[in-house]
Amino acid sequence: MKRICLCAAWALMVLTNAGCDEKLSTITGPTPELTPTFSSIQRTIFNVTDSSGRLACVQCHTDQGRTPSGGLVMLEGRAYDALVGRASTGKPGATRVIPGDPDNSYLVRKLEGASDIAGQRMPRGNGPFLTEGQMLVIRRWVSQGAPNN
Amino acid sequence: MILRLRRACAVLVLILTAAAPSAAQAPLDDPDLDVNLAQPDFTLVALPTTLRVPRHKSAFRVTHRFTRPLGDGSFGDLAGDLFGLDSGAQIGMEYRYGIMRGTQVGIHRTSDRTIEFFSQHELKAQSSSFPFTIDALATVDGTNNFRDSYSPGLGAVISRTIGEHAAFYVQPVWVNNTNRLPSEVVDDNDTVLIGIGTRLRIRPTVYLAIEGAPRVAGYDPGSAQIGVGLEKRSGGHTFQLTFTNGFGTTIGQLARGARNRADWHFGFSISRKFY
Repeated sequence: MKRICLCAAWALMVLTNAGCDEKLSTITGPTPELTPTFSSIQRTIFNVTDSSGRLACVQCHTDQGRTPSGGLVMLEGRAYDALVGRASTGKPGATRVIPGDPDNSYLVRKLEGASDIAGQRMPRGNGPFLTEGQMLVIRRWVSQGAPNN
Repeated sequence: MILRLRRACAVLVLILTAAAPSAAQAPLDDPDLDVNLAQPDFTLVALPTTLRVPRHKSAFRVTHRFTRPLGDGSFGDLAGDLFGLDSGAQIGMEYRYGIMRGTQVGIHRTSDRTIEFFSQHELKAQSSSFPFTIDALATVDGTNNFRDSYSPGLGAVISRTIGEHAAFYVQPVWVNNTNRLPSEVVDDNDTVLIGIGTRLRIRPTVYLAIEGAPRVAGYDPGSAQIGVGLEKRSGGHTFQLTFTNGFGTTIGQLARGARNRADWHFGFSISRKFY
């Protein structure tokens, strides 16, 4: 009986800790609500300036009262169609978001400031830029096929 | 996380008290008190063996894994650094206790502030009618002094001893939460490894231990940790010189693997049985 109790306690020790995971908010810094879905990226990255001072994309990428930077409109309801599978107007041959391929998606390269981008790293103005954790989430959304979710 | 920590500690206390001693000492005729010549210690290099801790007895082990790769710099440099001894080391300290016959619990802390609690229970012993010893193994390690990033593991340690000369091991282990990133941004958060190893008695008190811990499924950064140990048993002590391609000494660390296959490190382990 003692042996059975011990085995049960032993298994319980593992089970109490199984399913451990890090919280996503531990890496997303100034946007704790950010998840790898398009609606979340739109809501927390494109639409708003976050607590770090990183500028909202829609400040410049809008056609409301101005010409959108790079001809790209990132307003809610229009951003997905403007990004996924669409050619960049700033860099010939580049595609803004290639589903499943974050490394070659021009949106990711612009946000990370890759050496081959045309123009400035985004958001423009020498930062603050997106954090490594925020970029991991965006990369994950792209690598999952960039669904409109 | 704090709730998990409390639950883990509560269950550990339960385990430690579940088999409260009904007799203060192991009987003197307990065969677990005898030296097992085929497997004289509780670990190979980092992987566990099926050696039983006698009831209400204990053992201590200290591990050093020097961080300077043996291939780093010229031989003169390396010799001047006494093969890494003058550089930093990842140090581990371990204490294990036999709470009942065939069942041991222990704690292992490494100097990167990882703490591992482990438990091992013999399910079936090798005998004339059964060719293997099978232990169940449960571990949980946590970084930052068991405050962050918990990685529980569950597996089996299967051994076969050949007389007094050799022991062979196969150890399938599943480890959860090996990836330190949230599961939402990674493909794999678990690792399945199969530890394989052997200890060969090459002189009456001198052994050669060889082990590897290839990851066969899940998260597998770097390369599998491999280790070779040359050891001398002296009474209740075992002194082992190690050559490993990583610093891992807990199951979670082994699941995360070594940085690469090329960098080998010198180290040593000293264990002492308190019986």
